[in-house]
Amino acid sequence: MTQDAQDAVGDYKYGFHDPEDATIRFDKGLSEQVVRDISELKGEPEWMTDIRVKAYHHFMEREMPTWGNCDSLAGINFDNVTYFLRSSDKTEKDWDDVPDDIKRTFDRLGIPEAEQKWLGGVTAQYESEAVYHSIREDLEEQGVLFLDMDSGLKEHPEIIKKYFGTVVPHTDNKFSALNTAVWSGGSFIYVPKGVHVEMPVQAYFRINAKNMGQFERTLIIADEGSSIHYVEGCTAPTYSTDSLHSAVVELIAMEGAKIRYSTIQNWSANVYNLVTKRGVAHKNATVEWVDGNIGSKLTMKYPAVLLKGEGAHAEVISVAYAGEGQHQDAGAKVHHLAPNTTSNILSKSISKNGGRSSYRGMLQVTPKASGCRSKVVCDALMLDEDSRSDTYPTMEIGNSTADLEHEASVSKVSGDQLFYLMSRGHTEEEAMGMIVNGFFEPFTRELPMEYAVELNRLLELEMEGSIG
Amino acid sequence: MTSYLDAIVPSRSEHLWRYTPWSRVHPGNVDTVPEVDSAIVNSEDLKLNTVAFESLSTTDIARIFLNEIMHETIVVSCDDGEGHVHIHAGGHAVATHLHLSCSTASNIVIHLHGEPDWFGLALTGDINANARLSVGIINELSSDSVMVRVDDWNVHRDASFELATLSMGGHRNKSDIRSTLLGTNASLKQFIAVHGHGTRHDDHHIEIHHQQPHTNSHLLLNAVCDDRSHSIGTGSLTIDDIAQHTDAGQVFRNLLLSPSSRAEAIPELEVLANEVAASHGAASAPINQEQLHYLMSRGLSKDEATSMIVEGFLVDSFTDLDSDHVREAMQTRLTVHLECQLIG
Repeated sequence: MTQDAQDAVGDYKYGFHDPEDATIRFDKGLSEQVVRDISELKGEPEWMTDIRVKAYHHFMEREMPTWGNCDSLAGINFDNVTYFLRSSDKTEKDWDDVPDDIKRTFDRLGIPEAEQKWLGGVTAQYESEAVYHSIREDLEEQGVLFLDMDSGLKEHPEIIKKYFGTVVPHTDNKFSALNTAVWSGGSFIYVPKGVHVEMPVQAYFRINAKNMGQFERTLIIADEGSSIHYVEGCTAPTYSTDSLHSAVVELIAMEGAKIRYSTIQNWSANVYNLVTKRGVAHKNATVEWVDGNIGSKLTMKYPAVLLKGEGAHAEVISVAYAGEGQHQDAGAKVHHLAPNTTSNILSKSISKNGGRSSYRGMLQVTPKASGCRSKVVCDALMLDEDSRSDTYPTMEIGNSTADLEHEASVSKVSGDQLFYLMSRGHTEEEAMGMIVNGFFEPFTRELPMEYAVELNRLLELEMEGSIG
Repeated sequence: MTSYLDAIVPSRSEHLWRYTPWSRVHPGNVDTVPEVDSAIVNSEDLKLNTVAFESLSTTDIARIFLNEIMHETIVVSCDDGEGHVHIHAGGHAVATHLHLSCSTASNIVIHLHGEPDWFGLALTGDINANARLSVGIINELSSDSVMVRVDDWNVHRDASFELATLSMGGHRNKSDIRSTLLGTNASLKQFIAVHGHGTRHDDHHIEIHHQQPHTNSHLLLNAVCDDRSHSIGTGSLTIDDIAQHTDAGQVFRNLLLSPSSRAEAIPELEVLANEVAASHGAASAPINQEQLHYLMSRGLSKDEATSMIVEGFLVDSFTDLDSDHVREAMQTRLTVHLECQLIG
């Protein structure tokens, strides 16, 4: 990286970019024709084109949200976004066949190394489409489907047609409509009955081009009694103009199944990250969101679980780090729709250098959902006087037998803790870093070790220069 | 000043009107401004002065509406120690604006009685520097009434203010209670007890704004929901960036007694200063079966035991009131009300 580029990137480790060398690039802006062209280019069945067009019209008609950070949202210029960009002609199964420039990017991100060491499968998405995809043979033999979404639609249209948009319909919100209209890439996973995928599978999303919009679509179905852990990571270069990431993730956990979805969102500080993530848990099933938000300019993301079957369980662990110019508007939503369902939500946020972190949550118990239990804990840490922390929780209780608790606190780093660590020889900066790592510990301990180590490194990087 | 007919009726997407839309608490058709009578206000022990109506701050539809229909302001002299104010409302639509300005120390209980179809109540007050004011409000309106209540309280330097509300009357109530801590060392304690029975719909929105350093606030809302009642508690606590060393807490607790009852709790927090202790909690649970069993094993019927637990839960709302006068009045009225409910 040149010095100029390094200066522009600053502390953001993944802010490098490669030359934009697209094989297909659509003009900026969105129209029905763009939507139809994307569908045609991908050779999609007619029903998918129809869904896309319907969603496009809904997107155009739907107002922007009137809540949240409206000022920041108003900065999105939908006409200045490239909605589709193909960097590679096909999805490779062999790492050596991936085009050199893209391979270099993912090499620098450590993806191939991670795959060899501890993953059950990998998808690497560059701009709009997957460029590399692999799955361990033993999983394939057990009938596990792990494909990029475009290939999933080609090879298993009957499954996609049955489940696509059932958890997050295009009418859900403006950005889910946008995603449904122009989606490209993402993961499709089907785990057959009783199969336990022991090693996590990973998807890595990289935006490289300027003013790029990435709209991946992920659908994970865990059939009865199965389990899977899916990990996603994401980065982008630091440009002076903004990019848009608007994904939709749908999880379906059938009876007794378990899905854990872990995210380390580390977009550069010029990316709008407006994501709809929702899972359905049927009888005795578990859906877990482990959600880390470190990067982006504005994140609006509230992983949700619909507890549809008796005895279903939801777990959401969410951490957010809001630095200069960032607003992390994250949270969780759990809807108890069936009896004896349980949920736990733990949210932790740190605001620093004028950053703003918000927890926005929803806990709903419907009249039929008797015997539900839920606990929500939100902790916020403010590292300086320029920062801001908000909590917007909602509890709607329609059943008298529900037992719900919510607690939240906002505080600064305790002087006693700092003094204790410094009296043992640490500098103030080190001490602050240790306290921050400790604050996030309930989150990091849920991550695979490699991710936890990486997260700690990222936080240390963010904490550099935070004192004085 | 915005006229009501020019004002935009808020949609349900607005936080304040999410669970109780304006159309459900307006005295008629939302596009009209009806003729409204003044309620009868009297007090045996406090001086009341009627003056020309002093406008409310017009930031929302309810205040804009009340500004147009109110004719007079009743100023309650708050420097006379202790006392009771009775507001009798009757007829189709009735409204009252009470203003309290306190510069010394005072303890006042305000009783709302009567059988109005609709009652609009505006309460405003200044708790001036170094003053101490404790106000209790007991809502005993008939079970058919609709009430809109708006409060705007300013707490100045070194002043302390207690505001307690016992809500057990009326069919549909919407209360928007706002307090601003305007001076350093200002202190606010707010206690609300809601008894939901029948088809009561009781919506409390509480805004507390810390504008200066070294201020503190404490809010406790305890709601019991029986039958098909619905209780809503929304809090909005804002701590400005200069309001360092603020201590603020909100607690919302709901006790649900019947399968058809509902409760909502939304305690929001916006913190722009870092040297603060800010927290909130919300909990909702059914009646504790162990407590019920304990009381029944000592010879109480299930209804008596439940009533006792409810009483304990609601009476506890007022335990931390510093003013004996206000606390005793609130707790006594609550106990009588629950006994009447049990017998009736």
